[in-house]
Amino acid sequence: MKPRPFSVIIQTMLTLRSRFWRLFRVYWHWIIRAGIVWLILVRLAPAPPRAPLGPQQVVETVKPQVCVHTRLIDEVYEWKIQRSLQMAREIGADTVVEFFPWAYAEPTKGQYNWTSFDRIIKHARNQGLHIIARLGLVPAWAREDAENSTLNYLPDESFDEFAAFVAAFAGRYAGVVDHIIIWNEPNLSFEWGYRAVDPAGYARLLEAVYALAHAANPNVVILAAPLAPTLEPPGSPNGLNDLLYLEALYQAGAAPYFDALAMHTYGFTDPPEAPPAPDVLNFRRAELLRQIMERYDDPARPVYITESGWNDHPRWTKAVRPSLRVAYTVNAFKWAEANWPWLDKLCIWALRYPTSTRSYPDNFTLLTADFEPKPIFTAIQAYARGWQESDDLWLPAPGG
Amino acid sequence: MAARPWRLILPILALAITLWLWALAGVLFVIRWNAVERPGPPLKELFPYGEMRIGVDASYPPFAVATADDLFGLDIDLGRAIAERLGVPVRFVNMGYDGLYDSLKADQVDVVISALVIDYSRANDVLYTIPYYNAGFVLVSRADKAFMTMNELSGCALAFEFGSDADTLARAWLRRIPPFEMRPYELPAYALDAVRLGQADAALVDATAARLYGRAFPGWNMQMHPVTDSLYAAAVRIDRGKTWEAINYALQTLADDGTLAALIERWL
Repeated sequence: MKPRPFSVIIQTMLTLRSRFWRLFRVYWHWIIRAGIVWLILVRLAPAPPRAPLGPQQVVETVKPQVCVHTRLIDEVYEWKIQRSLQMAREIGADTVVEFFPWAYAEPTKGQYNWTSFDRIIKHARNQGLHIIARLGLVPAWAREDAENSTLNYLPDESFDEFAAFVAAFAGRYAGVVDHIIIWNEPNLSFEWGYRAVDPAGYARLLEAVYALAHAANPNVVILAAPLAPTLEPPGSPNGLNDLLYLEALYQAGAAPYFDALAMHTYGFTDPPEAPPAPDVLNFRRAELLRQIMERYDDPARPVYITESGWNDHPRWTKAVRPSLRVAYTVNAFKWAEANWPWLDKLCIWALRYPTSTRSYPDNFTLLTADFEPKPIFTAIQAYARGWQESDDLWLPAPGG
Repeated sequence: MAARPWRLILPILALAITLWLWALAGVLFVIRWNAVERPGPPLKELFPYGEMRIGVDASYPPFAVATADDLFGLDIDLGRAIAERLGVPVRFVNMGYDGLYDSLKADQVDVVISALVIDYSRANDVLYTIPYYNAGFVLVSRADKAFMTMNELSGCALAFEFGSDADTLARAWLRRIPPFEMRPYELPAYALDAVRLGQADAALVDATAARLYGRAFPGWNMQMHPVTDSLYAAAVRIDRGKTWEAINYALQTLADDGTLAALIERWL
């Protein structure tokens, strides 16, 4: 007899089909039961933790200059906002700096949605924390060619719209948030929407904002934007040296339009005591910025360092080892307390990121994204709260 | 009656053979189609500025570092190799890490090659190429005892750098498995020294630190097993699909012919 492979295949398929239906007829009720159990199990997945406001908290600190910069606005879960602010209180900081993007509050022109701002501010108040608010980030409707421009691109024609937003913010949170930073690091091209940096343009922005904000909240303190520590020369496509930019800002007549100056000062690879110099980026570069203020007869104006710190990434050229980061950061607080009477707050960048950046910026944080405290957190906490910390943090090098 | 099944089977068989021949022809056509070298999109379309502008943060040795007048490192060599394979001039644009992704959006660069770890939360904005390097954590041990996973550490001594991400990971492991001895050191090299000198059973360090240490001690036969992934890839703006395709293809050929491995070996 000749083989009949095709008919065998058909026969096998028919047999399988009939077996399937026979099994289905016997066990169909079990299949339906399994489906119901699956549906119930899916529904039983735990809901995200709620974040009810607890009793009013008070910050315990012996070092009122200590402050941290948070990153809460992109946090999805409210409990993470609450947990972050609890950790800010626990480290001994009575003030946090937080970013409040215009694009989030006014996605459509004239229609404000304060929900995401409200939930941060209510939890900060509950933890007994003051907020310094940084405002920026331009909604698409206020940008030309929104498809090809970045969120930092604010055309001159939109200054008044931005000023209206600042005034709305200042009015809504008057008495709760009384410190507002206008923009961030405008001496960097990418922070100025990938345009040539423009101190006179930024001065016009401050002028547009100042009167409206004070009309909305007479007690508001308008902080001129902190400048990025950089040595970029005039004409560089990347930005402009912060010392030159601040000079140009005063020369552009910006002085009447801000109440305090925000600064960013990072230590990079230098210890905090390293002397400043115009061609060196280190922690005490803040003193050079302060000298410019004094030169323009502006010594009474307070200063807030809203970003500072050291990075401990193993490969970034501007980082130090974690052990040095701990020592440098604590010594920076001590230096500022002893030598900078003009300084109001020294804020460390950053308490925590909502998600990992997957690169060296993660090594600026004090907590992991999972709220795991790094040794730098406990060191700052011990300093701010007057606790004694162990000296034996690591083992001696093997082999001496 | 005996011949009747063939009346049914023969036409079905003929149909099956015909379909099979068509399928075979289709497969052969696809194979042939793929084998034919066809001109891709013109370079002007792939790189409208007539050059491949590569965004890089040159502050990250051994991947990219700047001297007074030049850039060097694995990412720089890789960018040059990709450009060479595509036959297009290359220009590096050095910037801070914060500006890398924005520079794609603002059309300042065509591609970013800068030790970028693939970040799926950016999938709506950029296209990542195939990964070219894994910088995740590894467990390093002596040749006589390999540690493949955290579970094998129970009862052993683990060395790591104090305050580093390895420190955080080790503390997380300690909560999940039976105890092991934590041995923090001031530097990752000290943690590796501890393993080499017999003061710890394993060290938890990133792959780059382990590879660089291996170069410093070529005579030491160390075991190295990855425990986490941190995949580096190049990124292109999401609406530049053809550019991405060309760069990805070039990168794949560099991987296939061993050029990529040689570049990694050169720097790490």
